[in-house]
Order: sequence, then C-alpha cells, then structure tokens
Amino acid sequence: MRRIWIVAKNEFLKRVVSKWFVFTTLLGPIALVLLFGTIGYMTVQSMEGVTKTIAVLDRTGRLGDAIAMESDEQVTFVPMSIPEDSARRAVLEERFGGYLVIPDSALRGVGEIMYYSMEGGLGSIFNRRLDNVVNRAVEDLRLADAQVSPEVLAILESDLGFSSVKLTREGEEAGNAELYAVVGFVMGFLIYIAMLVYGSVVMQGVIEEKLSRVVEVVVSSVRPFELLMGKVLGIGAMGLVQMVVWAGLMAAGTFGAGAIITFFVSPANLGLAADATDDQVLAAMDLQIPSIGPDVFVWFVLFFLVGYLLYASLFAAIGSAVEQQQDAQGLMLPIMLPIILSIIFMQGVVENPGSTLAVVLSLVPFTSPISMVVRVAVTEVPLWETALSFVLLFATFLGSVWLAARIYRVGILMYGKKASLKDLARWIRYA
Amino acid sequence: MPELRVDRITKRFGRLTAVDDVSFEARPGRILGLLGPNGAGKTTSIRMITYITVPDEGQVLLDGRPVGPWSQLVMGYLPEERGLYKKMKVGEQLTFFGELKGLSRSRAVERAKYWLGRFEAADWYGRKTEELSKGMQQKVQFITAILHDPKLVILDEPFGGLDPINAELLQDVIMELKEEGRTILFASHRMEQVEQLCDDIALIAKGRVLLEGSLRDVKRSFGRNTVVLDFEGDDSFLDRLEGTGSVRVATRSRSHAELQLLDGVAPRLVLESALSAVEQVTRFELVEPPLRDIFVSVVQDQAAGRTQPAR
Repeated sequence: MRRIWIVAKNEFLKRVVSKWFVFTTLLGPIALVLLFGTIGYMTVQSMEGVTKTIAVLDRTGRLGDAIAMESDEQVTFVPMSIPEDSARRAVLEERFGGYLVIPDSALRGVGEIMYYSMEGGLGSIFNRRLDNVVNRAVEDLRLADAQVSPEVLAILESDLGFSSVKLTREGEEAGNAELYAVVGFVMGFLIYIAMLVYGSVVMQGVIEEKLSRVVEVVVSSVRPFELLMGKVLGIGAMGLVQMVVWAGLMAAGTFGAGAIITFFVSPANLGLAADATDDQVLAAMDLQIPSIGPDVFVWFVLFFLVGYLLYASLFAAIGSAVEQQQDAQGLMLPIMLPIILSIIFMQGVVENPGSTLAVVLSLVPFTSPISMVVRVAVTEVPLWETALSFVLLFATFLGSVWLAARIYRVGILMYGKKASLKDLARWIRYA
Repeated sequence: MPELRVDRITKRFGRLTAVDDVSFEARPGRILGLLGPNGAGKTTSIRMITYITVPDEGQVLLDGRPVGPWSQLVMGYLPEERGLYKKMKVGEQLTFFGELKGLSRSRAVERAKYWLGRFEAADWYGRKTEELSKGMQQKVQFITAILHDPKLVILDEPFGGLDPINAELLQDVIMELKEEGRTILFASHRMEQVEQLCDDIALIAKGRVLLEGSLRDVKRSFGRNTVVLDFEGDDSFLDRLEGTGSVRVATRSRSHAELQLLDGVAPRLVLESALSAVEQVTRFELVEPPLRDIFVSVVQDQAAGRTQPAR
C-alpha cells in the first residue's frame, strides 16, 4: 500500500505542477466561455448592426403596402414597380441591400418568394425574418379575401404554450425538463472525457515509461500491480482535481447565470414593471435553474470514479503492450467501442430514460458509467437498479484490474515484436 | 551482509528456454562477474534475482530466504538499458526511487544530496534530467541503484558511456561498496574490467552455466598456456608457427603477440623460432590466459558441441 501511495503521489505531483495542467485547468473553461461569448456577440452584432433598404417587386400589386408597414430601424421595405433588371443593377450598385420578388401566383398559394442580395446565405436569421414578413402578409390578405369571420381568425391566431414538468416522489419538480436533459448531457460528457482523456493519459504514461526503459528499475522496486494502481490512482486524482475546479467554475457560472441573463433582458419587454426582481424576470421567461438532488451528485461521483478506474486499467494494459502510441490503435478498438456506443445512444437515453435500451445500457458494466448517470439525471431510477448497476460495474472493475495487471507485468518488459490481442490473452496465462 | 544463492533456476518463454538449470553463488565482500555472450540469459537471470519475474523452476535465495518484495528493498539494480524520467528533476527523481526503496522522504533527500556530492554533481539537484548529458544521466542512474544502502548491488555494464575520469571515480565507489562488505553482481562484456574488479565469475551461454568459481581458480585450471612476446623485426614467423598447428595467435600487432600453446607444445619452441627470425626479443613471458581468451574458447567449444556444462 505504501508503495502504491508513493507512486500515486509522484504521478499526481509531477502532472499537477506542470504548466500544461495549470493551463488547461484554469484557462480551458475561460477559453471556452470566451469562444462562445465571441460567437454570441458576433451573432448579435450581425443582426443589430445592419440597416438595409429592400426593394419589393410585388407582382400581385396588393401586398406592397402591408410589407412596407413592417419596416423598422433595421430594414426598410420599399415597394417598387420596376423591372427586375433595374432592381438587380440597383443592388449591384449598392443602392439597395437586396430585392424581393413576389410572384403574382402568391395569392393563390403557389410559387416561391425570391430574395436577391449580394450576401446570399440560406438559413440566416435575417432570411427567416423576410420569409415571415412576406408569408404573414400573404396569409392576412388571403384570409381577408376569403372573408373569414373574426372567430376563425382568433382560432388561427391562438397558440398554446407548452411546458414539460418532471414528477418526483417528493412532488412536482418545478422547472424545465429540458434543463434536466442538459444536466444529463453535461454529466454524461464529463464521464466520457474522464474515461477517454484521462485513460489516454494513463496509457501515454505507461508507454513513456516503457520507451525510456525506466520501468525496469521501477519494477525492481515495486510490484507491477502496485505501479499500475499507483499510476491509475495518481492520474485519477489529477483528473478529479481538474473536474472539481471546473465544477466550481461552473457552479459559480450557474449561480451568476440568473443575474447575467436579467442584465441583458429589460423587464419592459416581458411586460413587467421596470423594477422587477431577477426572479420575476426569470419566471416570466419560463426559465428556472433546476435544483439537482444530492443523490444525483453522489451517483455521478461514484460512476465517474469507478468508470475511470475500469477504463484506465484497461488502457494501461494496452499501453504496456506497445512501444508507441500509433501501435495502440488496433488494440484500443474493442475498448473504445462501448464508450462510443454510450455516446451514440446518449440522446436516446435522455429522451426515453425508461426504455429497454436505456435500462440495458445502464446495467451493462462497460456502458453503465455514462448511461446510468444520464438516466439518474433526467428521471427517477429505482434505487435497486442503480445499486445493481454499480455493483456490476465495481465487480467488472476488479476483474479488469486483475487482467490488466497480468498483461501489464509481462508487457512492460517486452520489446520488439508488435503484440496482438492473442498475445495479450497468452500473457494472462503466464506464471 | 547477505549471500546470494541462485539455485537451479529455469525460465521458459513459450518454446524458448532462456535460462536452463542455472546455479551460482555470490558472497558478501566480493564481486561476482556475470559473463556471457549476447542473448545468453544474463538479463533474464538478473530479472529473477531482482524479483521482476519468477523462475518456472528452482529458486533464488538471499541469506537463505526466497527473494520477494522484502528483498527488493535491500537490492539495488542498474540495468543495462538505462532509463530515467526525463521530465523530472534530478533531485525529485532520486528521492522518488529512494522512497520506493523504503527510505523516508527526508532520508532520501539527504542520501541523494550526499551521493550527488560524491559524484561532483551537487548542483544538478534542481536540474531537469533531460538537460543532462548521457554520461551525467549515467551517474544519476547509478545513484538510484545505491541510494538506499543496498546489501546486494547488481550492476549491468556500469561503465558504458563514461569517460576515463568518471569511470575511475565509479570504480573507486564500487570497490568501496565491496570493502563495506556488500555483495556485488557485475555483468559486463569488457573482460579487462572483469579481470580487474571481480573476485569470482560465472560464465553463462545459451542459458547454461559453463564456468563458475573464483577468477584465480578458473584461470589456473586453464594452465599457463599463453606466451606473451615483444620483439623487433620481421613477424612472419608467427604465420609459420600457426601454420604448423602448434599455436593459436590470440592477439597480434606490429611488435607484440599473444600466443596460445596448443596440445602441450613446449614454450621454448616459440622462443626458438622467434629468435631465429627477429632482430631482438624484448619480452618473453609464460602467463595464464587472459579472461577474454577463456571466454572465447569456452563459448566456441560449446557452440561446436565439444563441452558439457559445468554441472
């Protein structure tokens, strides 16, 4: 035990004090926030910054005024009856931002509205707005022509809101089910990262030790099993520190999220008094930061740890069998497969957490770390199911670490020949 | 101080028998030279002694007790394939290995500083290992093997890559370890060094022990059958002598030759033919064969199927 501790301490310290670690841990989230912030800012800018005048070539002759009424400080619609050639020239000479062509068949509900501009672009917010404005005008005019009664108009105008509420045994969980899905996704991805990224760090470390031949001196002092466990635990501790720092930053972010959102939204737009509190504003926006039960966090941490340990020990075994990273690819596939499957099916598990697929995925040890945590986050899972899944996972971990250690102790001293999965199986049986 | 006894160990890898019924002993206060051509099974034997692997048959005893995790704490091992953690600082590295060998942290730091001082390298303590030259890394690696005051020291080619000054420094330290009564295992291909340092030898080839015993006894058993000759003048008589099948020329340069007498040929035959051919004989001496010649002839005899193993 003492020697496992010494190895783990060494692995932990030599990584945590490195520039790389400080950089990724502290600057990682900041860089991410900056990136998203910049994207968001640019999007808003591109929408607000433009002022455009758009020529409307209305072939029906009856929509122009209605569309012109939709002009605001950004877009000015100018109905014109000029040939398309002149409109085109005007756009190319930049006298207009673009021109709309509404075919005369529009009022019969056929044909296509064309918008010509020098920007092009298909799905931009601006194009969708043009689409809305014109279609709305067409719809209104056709309804008026058909002399539809005000009652029917009222029916057409009506649009019911929709909310999904999560039921728990303690009562209704006030809040938005979508936000639980987000929590589920985030937790699932964190475990995915832990298993894959930290697992690769373990593998890398094993390969480096083997390549630099330092491993021979180390195993003349500790049992290979102690070296393996120390390495896995030390790197795991590093990962945990990184996760805790990120979680802390995230918690701080969530805590401040309400204030940040309300800062950007003026109460008047939501029909509230100007001195409305933050909570009122958030309630009016139908947004609530979900309250997550402590049991979800407990399961998250447990599955996170054991899931990491399971995969890290297997990655270490693979690392011991090769001499450079590239050679590891072929051996890694069988291990990567369950991880990739859990990510592919994550969406399905979030949407139908009670389906057979979701239950099976969350019980099978190799996929359960991600799938079970996602289920626990989005729905109520019976305790026995979660407990059974965890026991299975833990038993698998014990088995895998035993296997990994047997492969590892042979692999680290093998040089030259490229090992196949068959060789690995043979090594397990060595004395 | 302990006695190392390797007792009839065998190790197989699939169909290959790397070590086949090997036995030898190393005693406190003495240096045992472990010799053998490449691929003879030396490294495999050392790995079993250091409890990195275990034999399929037989056992390794240190002071009468089978080796195990306990014995790893009192052994120091310098493998032939050198390796250190490149990114770690020299001091951290030495402390880490010291702690693994059971030293407390403060004691490990103290010992690391002491030994760096002994190797005139005290200022390397805070330097990254990868910044050091190969020879410097070599010294650091040697320190990892002896930092914890091991009772059994295993050195595989310890002089490789060292300049003459550092080699002498290292040799002094090794002799000092011996004087302190430690048991030392010294594996090398450099026969002059083995001859200079070792008290006992064990020669392994193809997984078997071919020779074992004190260096003096081994040499004596081969008899005084080597003639060392220094001369001035025409050396064509050497070819004539070899042509008659009475000697084998082991070493030859412009005015120096070492000849192995074959099948009881009288030494004076060599002297007579030399005197009749050269201008001047400045040295004529009958000596025990150098270890290198013993090594070559024993290994070649085995390859030709002429000898039985020592046991």
